Amino acid sequence: MSSDYASPLGRLWSSVEFKLILSWLLVVLATMALDTNHTYWNASADSAQLILRQTVLLGIFALGAAVIIISGGIDLSSGSVIAMSATVFGSLMIVLDPEGFKAGHVSTMAVILSITGTLLVGAMVGTLHAWLITSVGLPPFVATLATLVGLRSFSRGLTPAVTIGGKSQIDFPDAGLRDALKDVTSISIVFLFFALLLWFLMSRTVTGRHLQAMGGNEQAAKLSGIRTDRLKWLAYVIGAVSASIVGIISFADNGSAKPDIMARGYELNAIAASVIGGCSLQGGVGTIPGTILGCLFLRTIIDAVQKIVGAGADVYEGMIVGIVVVVAVTFSQRGGSKLVGKKYFSNEIGWSVIPTLGILSGLSYLLFFGSGNSKREWYANYQAFLIGAAVVIALSIRAFLESRPRVNGQS
Amino acid sequence: MTQPIISIQNVSKHFGGTRALHDVSFDVMPGELHAICGENGAGKSTLMKILSGVITSYDGQLAVDGQVVRFQGTRDGESEGISIIHQELNLVEQLSVAANIFLGRELRTGLLLRDDRAMESQAAHLLQSLDCDIPPNRLAGSLRVGDQQLIEIAKALSINSRILVMDEPTSALTEAEVARLYRVIAKLRSDGTTILYISHKMDEVFHLSDRITVLRDGQFIATLNTQETSPAEITKLMVGRDIESLDLGARPQRGDLVLEVRNLSLEWPGHARGYRLKDISLELYRGEVLGIAGLMGAGRTELLECLFGASALEPTGEILIDGELIKPRHPAEALKAGLALVTEDRKRLGIFNTMDVGRNISIVALRDAVVGPMLNQGQEQDLSVSMVEKLRIKTAGLTPPIGALSGGNQQKCIVGRWLLTGPKVLLLDDPTRGVDVGAKAELYRVIRGLCSEGLGVIVTSSELPELLTLSDRIMVLSEGRKTAEFSIAEATQEKILEAATKSWQFQ
Repeated sequence: MSSDYASPLGRLWSSVEFKLILSWLLVVLATMALDTNHTYWNASADSAQLILRQTVLLGIFALGAAVIIISGGIDLSSGSVIAMSATVFGSLMIVLDPEGFKAGHVSTMAVILSITGTLLVGAMVGTLHAWLITSVGLPPFVATLATLVGLRSFSRGLTPAVTIGGKSQIDFPDAGLRDALKDVTSISIVFLFFALLLWFLMSRTVTGRHLQAMGGNEQAAKLSGIRTDRLKWLAYVIGAVSASIVGIISFADNGSAKPDIMARGYELNAIAASVIGGCSLQGGVGTIPGTILGCLFLRTIIDAVQKIVGAGADVYEGMIVGIVVVVAVTFSQRGGSKLVGKKYFSNEIGWSVIPTLGILSGLSYLLFFGSGNSKREWYANYQAFLIGAAVVIALSIRAFLESRPRVNGQS
Repeated sequence: MTQPIISIQNVSKHFGGTRALHDVSFDVMPGELHAICGENGAGKSTLMKILSGVITSYDGQLAVDGQVVRFQGTRDGESEGISIIHQELNLVEQLSVAANIFLGRELRTGLLLRDDRAMESQAAHLLQSLDCDIPPNRLAGSLRVGDQQLIEIAKALSINSRILVMDEPTSALTEAEVARLYRVIAKLRSDGTTILYISHKMDEVFHLSDRITVLRDGQFIATLNTQETSPAEITKLMVGRDIESLDLGARPQRGDLVLEVRNLSLEWPGHARGYRLKDISLELYRGEVLGIAGLMGAGRTELLECLFGASALEPTGEILIDGELIKPRHPAEALKAGLALVTEDRKRLGIFNTMDVGRNISIVALRDAVVGPMLNQGQEQDLSVSMVEKLRIKTAGLTPPIGALSGGNQQKCIVGRWLLTGPKVLLLDDPTRGVDVGAKAELYRVIRGLCSEGLGVIVTSSELPELLTLSDRIMVLSEGRKTAEFSIAEATQEKILEAATKSWQFQ
């Protein structure tokens, strides 16, 4: 590994981007082979469009999250900012063109002003974060934790105040506008534009280099004459505005803004996608293309499981994200993790986790492949038990092999 | 002949493609102080890590008391009685002295609860046996580096170590602390402890050791009896070539006044003294090196930070560059005024570990490599290459990570980073800390070369000979005040030391 940096080919080979593209191809091929409905064959365009839409919706604010993570911070608030932006967007339209809103035909001027206003509110949230972090001196985790909780609550308070009859959600008024805003082509163009802009910023400008330097060593960056406070402002504004863009699109996509449940927990998906894409939570490491591939990979594997398992699979989205994060980070860690040679089960913690992994495997089998047998009693799914037991036995054998003393102490 | 206490037999170690140790063999006798000398990268630290069980996979073998051992971790090393005092101390700053000494081996009461009282009294006992009066309930982080080091030694004693490995123990100590360390070492030796002592500093090695082993490029070169050799011979063995006695050439002509500081003071709220710096005035001319001497805590770093706009509080007084008053409140402003600061703590405040060599060099001067809004990577590389060549930085191109370079070459990268900004005044805070002999001489030459280009340089150092070699004038600080200034002709180590310890009369 230590000589990899010497050759460009070696660098490409060991880059996160390259590994992600390979893994992505594998997932697509596996889905083609395993999906009994052959959706990827029969409805390629629809499948691609679906994945594209989901990748774009995740991608826009994951890129914002990535910029913050690369510069050494963290933003926990993006889910709440999405919900707030949808609410604010709706509220602004109601306020600016109440008649048009009721009639289902909002004037173009009101729409433009509302979008501008919503993005401005996003920038204000980002500025608030930067102020809390640089001037008040809060750790980014705490500052954005406060807005994660606070902004959603604010949006819930705002909704009844602007809706007739004090409803808890705002319905999207204008079918034509809705189609325009959620159109997969237009949101892809927005994403492409945004991604190019951020890629240019991060890899082709002085500011981008300074953001990376700040993420790698903030004190050294400051002592190099870099205005770290201004850079943080920029990073957090980019993060919040990217979430606002997604808020506007999601309002159209969902057809309503329900601030109490909308985009709940999305911030963690954005962080997960960045991490899968090679960003280090320590800061200083990560790329925009990597993050885009991270989003694509994550959404594709979720889609793949839905195709293979069938209906109701959105329940398992969280499990998939969890597993993918663990596996991706394990194998992209610096120095690389190996299946052979490394000891995973050689101590007490290793032994103790074996039953957990066994139960997890059995349950996963039950959840993914046992749904067709729902008429049977749960204990009839003896296969799940067998799978769990097999995993426990296999891992125990590995643990035994690992705990044997090595003959000459050399690896 | 007695049996060696440690016998190192044909030990080799590779890290990926690089060879850290190659077929090293030598013996250490019981009760001796065995110095290990070598430049950075010679393999000293790797060898010590193998000895103490930090590195577990290597070729060759290790025998303690004639028994072949293979440590699987530091615990195994400790159970054989081997302890290592690392250059970077490993204390938990938030825990007390006693808790640090017994970390991982806490004493317990009959109810299996932690027994702080017993630990504190035992710690006090241990520290007393080392002739130092550190209260065992103080937090480790509140102690000075010298005291922290003694805690590490006490910790080693608490596990009955027979063999103590000390890695550059004096690199961060003041002269007084060094003297105390010497006393502790003498005491340990009279108790029969074997000491492996790693150091760059010839005077220390010759003062303390019985035998000296020299390593170079991972290979064993020689083991010599200290009494039968000379510093010149050891240095020659270390670098594999004769070092010209440090003749840096003629001192350049002193030019115009470039930096003037008048009555600079920096408050220290909550401290008995009330100030970190008090009424410091100084002048610096082009082509001149002003050395700043002082014990640890004298305010050397604080002074440079004030000049560079990097101090937490705003200093009072006046700073003039080329006769123009500046009030830098951020390093960016100091940079604009023509100042450059190479910080003391290279790892924490200097290098960007996540970036490669080229980007570490170009980071401050990127604005010189832009076309429109865009960074021109070719121009950026040209900037970095120009410094690699000018400062003769040893690196395989611009793409290796900065961490792959030796300390001296990392330091050169940082100097290069600042030279790219075309500074008028270069501030160097202890620039040769953790840099080996050969690279030190190179850095001296670089500094002298910069002076002849018309730069004014301020350099601080914890080593007086270094200041005497480099400086044209030497200013002495003590407890935040300027206590003396000498021209190089009148300066001697004794005079400087006297001025540096003058402080107590102010209290």
